[in-house]
Amino acid sequence: MTLTDLSLGETGIIQKIEADTALSNRLRELGLLDGMAVRMVKMAPFKGPVEIKVRHSYLSIRWNDAQSILLKS
Amino acid sequence: MKYHFGSSSAKGGHDGDRWVALVGNPNCGKTAIFNLLTGLNQKVSNYPGITVEKKEGLARTDHGDFRLLDLPGTYSLSPESFDEEIVSEQIDQWARGMAPPSVIISVVDATNLGRNLYLTSQLQDLNIPIVIALNMMDRLEENYHIDYEKLAKEMGVAAVVPLSAKLNEGLPQLKSEVIHAFIDNHDIADSPPWMDSEMVSKYASTTHDGYASSRFGLAQSMRDQNKSGMNNGDHEAVLRYRWIDDILSRVTRREVETPLAPSRSEKWDKVLTHQWGGPIIFVSILYFIFQSIFTWATVPMDWIQLGMDNFSTFVVDKMSDGMLRDILVEGIIGGVGAIVIFLPQILILSFFLTLLEDTGYMARVAFMLDKGMTKMGLHGKSVLPLMSGYACAIPGIMSTRNIDSWKERLVTILILPLMSCSARLPVYTLLIGAFIPSITVGGYFNLQGLTLVLMYFLGTAVALILAKVFSRWIGEKSSSSFIIELPPYRVPIPKSVLRHVFIRGKLFLVNAGKVIMAISIVLWFLASFPKVDSPNSEINPIHHSYAGKIGHAMEPVIRPLGFDWKIGIGLLTSFAAREVMVSTMATIYNVEDAGEETVNLKEAMRADVHPETGAPTYTPLVALALMVFYVFAAQCMATFAIVRQETNSWKWPMFMVVYMTALAYFGAMAVYQGGKLLGYS
Repeated sequence: MTLTDLSLGETGIIQKIEADTALSNRLRELGLLDGMAVRMVKMAPFKGPVEIKVRHSYLSIRWNDAQSILLKS
Repeated sequence: MKYHFGSSSAKGGHDGDRWVALVGNPNCGKTAIFNLLTGLNQKVSNYPGITVEKKEGLARTDHGDFRLLDLPGTYSLSPESFDEEIVSEQIDQWARGMAPPSVIISVVDATNLGRNLYLTSQLQDLNIPIVIALNMMDRLEENYHIDYEKLAKEMGVAAVVPLSAKLNEGLPQLKSEVIHAFIDNHDIADSPPWMDSEMVSKYASTTHDGYASSRFGLAQSMRDQNKSGMNNGDHEAVLRYRWIDDILSRVTRREVETPLAPSRSEKWDKVLTHQWGGPIIFVSILYFIFQSIFTWATVPMDWIQLGMDNFSTFVVDKMSDGMLRDILVEGIIGGVGAIVIFLPQILILSFFLTLLEDTGYMARVAFMLDKGMTKMGLHGKSVLPLMSGYACAIPGIMSTRNIDSWKERLVTILILPLMSCSARLPVYTLLIGAFIPSITVGGYFNLQGLTLVLMYFLGTAVALILAKVFSRWIGEKSSSSFIIELPPYRVPIPKSVLRHVFIRGKLFLVNAGKVIMAISIVLWFLASFPKVDSPNSEINPIHHSYAGKIGHAMEPVIRPLGFDWKIGIGLLTSFAAREVMVSTMATIYNVEDAGEETVNLKEAMRADVHPETGAPTYTPLVALALMVFYVFAAQCMATFAIVRQETNSWKWPMFMVVYMTALAYFGAMAVYQGGKLLGYS
């Protein structure tokens, strides 16, 4: 499953990130490491960006980018 | 790029050559700390060649002073946006031994330690003493404990100082730790603590020469490889975080395990960024801001008007007849006064924009509107620059720097001058006040207010449509991602909001003032000379002046838009800045009138009749056409200079001038000719 499969308020564990180099480097630098817990906070309508909480901070990530974050099922 | 710190403001005597850099993540309170440390001893300038604000200041302590430089916020040394590039380039130079600071203050948000210490650990590689300013202590959860001394020791930094910029606590301790750190001369290990010997030998072979610190070179070499996609299983971020998280597990203690628990801001967001409620609230806030610009500002604007009138009467009384008095009253006071009057509106607008930014609300707006903006070829982060454009295009264009994708940043810059900036306000206000009747339509709406809103709407709507067109036309595939942090909602620090508003106002007065003063004087000469030898009371001398000749020469071109030679001169002078239109008209009528008092521009324009036919020169239709012209026209030299700097080519500013002038000309023509066809005059 990917990050966007989480329902609101649900928490998942990152398994790996399958994005292009620039995006995955950025996500890593913001502290999204494999094994880290993320919680789905908000989803903007019409597949707009999603808001997640990870490492004490709230991040907004676009829908397509969020789909490249794979979670442990 | 080379920065000369030694040459500037080195007033600290023998301490003059020691300076301190302030580095930290966005939203960590870095600027608030800078303001507290330097007080009013600061100056804002630009980095040579680029329009990035460089903020320097002097911090005073009992044990000597030190100079402080505030860098833009960044998450890491691998830049994604232009803003971040500045920081990483600057730090790369320090790493090469070029004018490095004596101490770095690494500002860290205590409520988000791990993520913030990532940048700190990258800075450590420089082998420059680091003092961690642990900000936001006032927001730290009660059940969370940090052992500061142990943190400093385990990380290997000079000191960790807990503080709160908001409550102004801990700043003296920060200063004294910085002073201590100046004499700190212990060297760091040659390699990063998170690299094993195998990695060290592997990355040593690809390290570039020229780094003063071998540790920085090693880390940079890994960063370069990660960037190109070869990570061979070792990734800087993963390794660093592992190291940081391990330290944190030993120096912090949490009674209840709650890292992902909803914060107070999250509860606020249930309403403020609600799917449907959020956009409605946003539009209401915008409406409130615009409403207040026009209602609250009228009182101070009347004061300024009154002051200006009294001042020119005073000058007329005290000075003897002559050219100097004419320049002063008709040129300078008339011209500059016409602009200073808009200061209240600019202050109110920048006050609200600063408030929206400082509370953390603007990040939410970007989140809510990203999808819609993407559809128009823009970016969630385009919202703030576009809204700043309502105040002034220049700070707006400069704030596009945090849009990570070049294409979306360019499109935002290209359409931004179509957002009606405060310099158009004088023109709109003058024409609406003079020619649009103050009647109520549709039961609620004042026709004057409605016309004004229509002008803002016209500019914004056309801007968004053109964004879509330009983004298709530029074609290049967009590679942007949209990752922003939604900072916790914060009560803004009044001092720093006021400081920001003050700086905006000062920039307006100084920049606009200089240009307008010069143009007013030149224009006064052009409109007053050559003097007619035998004054003929029938013909106004201004017709024979240089300005009159230029205006008359322009008339055939602008006639189809309904404009006469006086407007022609105004259009010409507004190429320097739009608001000059008003002062130009004021100067022309003052010279034409040649009386003792400054004329009321509104009355003068309304009373102006064609010398032969006796028909009014300006009608509501002409006023409307002129306003539409100003909605679109490319008339701000400063904007194009900034665009030239930000896009690094003349191609884009020239393109802007061409497309905006065409829009303005044909837009105004459509209004005037269309209106005439419908039977208006």
